[in-house]
Amino acid sequence: MATALLLISCNSDDNAPTTGTGSLNIEFDNVYQSNNLILNTQPNTTSQNEVLKIGQLKYIVSNIKLTKADGSIFTYPKSQSYFIVDETDEASTTLQLQNIPSGDYVSVSFGIGVDQQQWELGADGQGNFLALAQSEDMLWSWSAGYKFLAFEGTFTSPTVASETAFMVHTGKTGTDYNYTTITLPLTNSALVRTDITPQIHIFADASKIIDGQNKIVLSDNNSGGMGAMIMGGENLALITANLSQMFTVNHVHNE
Amino acid sequence: MKKFLLLLWLPIAVLASEKDSLSINYKQRFANMLDDCDACGCSATGGSMGFVSLLNTNFVGVRYIYQRYSSTDGLYANSPWYTEQFNSVQIWGRIPIFKNAQVSVLLPYHNNSRETETASHTISGVGDLTVIGLYRVYQTTTDSTFLAHTIQLGAGVKAPTGKYDETNNGSINPGFQLGTGSFDYLLLAEHILRRRQFGFQTMLNYIIKTENDQHYRFGNQFNYSVTLFWLREKDDFSFSPQLGVAGEVSESNRQYDQVVAKTSGSVLFGKIGIEAGIKRFSAGAQFLLPISQDLTGGRVDAKYRFGVNLNYSL
Repeated sequence: MATALLLISCNSDDNAPTTGTGSLNIEFDNVYQSNNLILNTQPNTTSQNEVLKIGQLKYIVSNIKLTKADGSIFTYPKSQSYFIVDETDEASTTLQLQNIPSGDYVSVSFGIGVDQQQWELGADGQGNFLALAQSEDMLWSWSAGYKFLAFEGTFTSPTVASETAFMVHTGKTGTDYNYTTITLPLTNSALVRTDITPQIHIFADASKIIDGQNKIVLSDNNSGGMGAMIMGGENLALITANLSQMFTVNHVHNE
Repeated sequence: MKKFLLLLWLPIAVLASEKDSLSINYKQRFANMLDDCDACGCSATGGSMGFVSLLNTNFVGVRYIYQRYSSTDGLYANSPWYTEQFNSVQIWGRIPIFKNAQVSVLLPYHNNSRETETASHTISGVGDLTVIGLYRVYQTTTDSTFLAHTIQLGAGVKAPTGKYDETNNGSINPGFQLGTGSFDYLLLAEHILRRRQFGFQTMLNYIIKTENDQHYRFGNQFNYSVTLFWLREKDDFSFSPQLGVAGEVSESNRQYDQVVAKTSGSVLFGKIGIEAGIKRFSAGAQFLLPISQDLTGGRVDAKYRFGVNLNYSL
């Protein structure tokens, strides 16, 4: 027994000084409230008694920053820091970041959409991302700009009996960039090492887009019964504000 | 930790005071049960099934244990639940070394399967080898006491002969493994109280887990059981029905010394068993049903366990 007791206190120490660089994955897992999001078939009820069947959810994630326990910030190279998360393309939901300095990271920050500084680089300054956005249908036109988030499907409500289309597209409107920056604390440290690739598992709650702190009633936007199309107007600012409440870190794997 | 150590020693302190009473000199046919289970099946060498039959002190034998669970990734309210089945064939024995001292050995072979969205995933192979030294620190020796006591203490080690594969781990049942991948240490205490043909057995053990080479450390685990039994012995024949409860409480697992969320838990089983022996052979069966549980943060639901064994007395 004495031997066993001695062994209790014998714990290997892995907190060796960290050097070099490693990789880090950020998974955007789209959910609807507490349920995994299932496209097309899953009826999702809002607080306004509207039932949504979501056909598509896509958004641009950009300008990723990672903060260490000591407060120092690593900014992922801006030119490589634009991604499109597409619920219909599983590979796109995990962002694979490389050449991250080893360290214990405690929070992650990112934006939804494309920021003003990047936009002002002009079409030629967008690198490959412009073509990606076009192929993903996340660009109206260069002058009209990027779609920051696309949330589409059908809905019914007490006043709209038959399944009717809805489309929510956010982006810059006029001089208003509508760029949302989100900072999330991690549930446990992401330990980036040469031999550890942490995965930050983020829940993106689609219910928050129109049913967050601001409640958008699709039935009220169903002009002429042609569907609820929200791509501007005062609702856009409300929806943009909702996006800042959409993301939470569920857990971090260190493997 | 200190709390658990105290718990282990408590029965001895209490029972030592009863030593002066007269006692019955039973044939020492009772052995000690030892739970050696990691919650939710990982290298579940004993699976709360006890270590040894009540009929034979020293023996070698084989045992088969089946455990059934349902598990989910726990991420979403609509996450699917999948069935997990743990089959374990074990060679086990308790071998006398010198007066009042024995060594218990247990080597399992596991075949564990888990349904997945598309098919099923099976892992099989040798599990972790457990070796435990046991010492009988007290036994009522005279014949006419009202109650007779036997107290055994032991310590042992579980060696990582079973494979720990990080990729099995995922976000579902961290116990879906052949072994913990680590050297783990066991402390155990057991008390048997007998009056005539009735007996009451209490078993406590604590397993100290260490970090494996994948930097994963399963949570320390406290196991306990109490069993009421009746024993009938006549000539070459013996027979013992048993009824009791068995439980497991485990701390959170750790990875790179960080707590892994939703990995602690506890379960309490009701159990019913029977053993019968003829001459040097004995056979036993046990069935366990959960009474209450909160395993792995609610992501694992224990359904039932059963075990059968065949032993040969040494």
